[in-house]
Amino acid sequence: MTSALRATDLGKRYGRKWALSSCTLDIPAGHVVGLVGPNGAGKTTLLHLAVGLLAPTTGTLTVLDEKPASSPEQLGRIGFLAQDTPVYPNLTIDTHLHMGAALNPHWDAQLAERRIHDLGLDPSQRAGGLSGGQRAQLALTLAIAKRPSLLLLDEPVASLDPLARREFLATIMEVVAEHEVSVILSSHLVADLERVCDYLVVLAASRVQVNGEIDDLLASHYRLVGTRQAFDHLPDSVHVIEESHVERQTTVTVTSVDPILDPAWSVEEMTLEDLVLAYMSQAEEQRRDLVRAKGGAR
Amino acid sequence: MIWFAWRQFRFQALVVFGLLVAVALFFIVTGPHLADLYGELKVCKAHGDCDSLTSSLLNTYNKELPFVQALDVIFPALLGMFWGAPLIARELESGTYRLAWTQGVTRSRWVLTKLAVVGGASMLATGLLSWMFTWWADPINTLNASRFGSAVFDTSYIAPIGYAAFAFALGVAAGVLWRRTVPAMATTIAAYVAVRVPFDHFVRPHLLSPVTLAASLKSVGNIGFERTPNGVSFIAGDVKRPNSLVASTSVVGKHGGEVTQQWLRDNCRSLLQLNSPNPGKGGHVTTGIRPKAFTECIDKISASFHEVLLYQPAYRFWTFQWIEMTIYLVIAVLLGALSYWWVRRRFA
Repeated sequence: MTSALRATDLGKRYGRKWALSSCTLDIPAGHVVGLVGPNGAGKTTLLHLAVGLLAPTTGTLTVLDEKPASSPEQLGRIGFLAQDTPVYPNLTIDTHLHMGAALNPHWDAQLAERRIHDLGLDPSQRAGGLSGGQRAQLALTLAIAKRPSLLLLDEPVASLDPLARREFLATIMEVVAEHEVSVILSSHLVADLERVCDYLVVLAASRVQVNGEIDDLLASHYRLVGTRQAFDHLPDSVHVIEESHVERQTTVTVTSVDPILDPAWSVEEMTLEDLVLAYMSQAEEQRRDLVRAKGGAR
Repeated sequence: MIWFAWRQFRFQALVVFGLLVAVALFFIVTGPHLADLYGELKVCKAHGDCDSLTSSLLNTYNKELPFVQALDVIFPALLGMFWGAPLIARELESGTYRLAWTQGVTRSRWVLTKLAVVGGASMLATGLLSWMFTWWADPINTLNASRFGSAVFDTSYIAPIGYAAFAFALGVAAGVLWRRTVPAMATTIAAYVAVRVPFDHFVRPHLLSPVTLAASLKSVGNIGFERTPNGVSFIAGDVKRPNSLVASTSVVGKHGGEVTQQWLRDNCRSLLQLNSPNPGKGGHVTTGIRPKAFTECIDKISASFHEVLLYQPAYRFWTFQWIEMTIYLVIAVLLGALSYWWVRRRFA
């Protein structure tokens, strides 16, 4: 099975600040992957590295088993939708499609024209006059008509209103169903991802916190409510992600290969949102500890 | 990719080539008239005095000429600003580079095609303007006999093609480094002037080792004396050399030395005595000097000194055009390589 994206110790530094560090990932092809994390977590950096708009500072990265932007063929196999869906405001929709045809090896002109037609857009209209949702759809059309094996979408719905958002996500699902295409989709909203994704990567504080198929993740994470005493006796095979203690009650989010059968705990159902938030707050906690440790050293 | 590079450039190209068409119309309408006047002048020259015809030729378009010259001078810089600077900067600024560079065309090919298409157009447009101007102004340039002067050398023949390539590459490089169009445009014009002006004045006269000419001071026009705070000093104008470029002139003793204050005191006492009671004001003091004292002193100076002229003779004109064009083309290629390297390194 090919990898959609494989990173080994990938890092990117701007000046003295690391936007992404020690990123090791192997995302198999054939998934709709949600890349989730707070703003500034490194999502855009990772995607830009994946399309070759940035060069890594450390580590290596392959996309569809090839170096990003290494050849026209490789570029042609990846459909990329950048954040805020940039298009040329002075050029018409038609010219954008001509551009796609002129610059891409496997351009599907029929598909592109049909999509523009189905969207009810006038091909002679300048892209500068489109609404946010229409512009996103045009940019998506350009990405899809390349007939890519992998679609990379950077916050595609962040700037869309709820209706446009739903339509956009529906389009993605159609594309996945029609053409065998892998998708990596970044967002800071879990709700968007929950609807379309079957694989999750949580990126926070410039690092990958967790990744895997969503079903597996949900099956191996538990939210436990019990006592402080029970917490102190958790077996080593249980890994604690987040803990909170109030008087006489302890709530923990843990991951464990084996089911939790200890009657001292009551096991609660875990949603994807809970899981993501647990990892994000863990990252935030670690970041604060780090800052405090540095402060103490001074 | 060539198609798309042209498609993005089409509007800017139309504006500039439209301007060229307007200039061409002016040349086409007025050029034959100038040529006719020059034809008459040649016929007249066979008989003798043609002063009125000469001045009529030089004066007919003396209002338009400075405009056309100015356009020729700034044209490469304008292309650098309006074609070069936005070429990559606008993509970076508006974020469309993320669309452009993720199509199925490698970054290298994208940059090189853009440089070739728009850079080539810059050289073509400037070459056309220069060629038209060279043709139109030929009678004027022939009469003025100063082809090596900036007004002709910088605006005609092939040197402007080099300037165009340079200005364009400068604009692109500024755009890539700034990542914003407007500061890149300002940088382009500033850097263009900062390179061209010193080059014209200090480098061009020495591109080849100049020819030396020792001329009798009697052959030099415009000689006389100038009052200075400590007395009177000798001044001499340049020897006239048609269509050539003077690197330096100096009045040198036939056995070394200069016309110093001391020398004048020793040899032209009468001249100094007459003029001493009127200190303070500068300027020529030939008036008020007894013609005899003046002539005597000039004769004495001429006997011991001559003017040494270092210059680039007229026959080197084309060599200099080629050298200058080549130098600027080389700088343009280096700047282009810098932009190419920077885009590849900085953005992947």
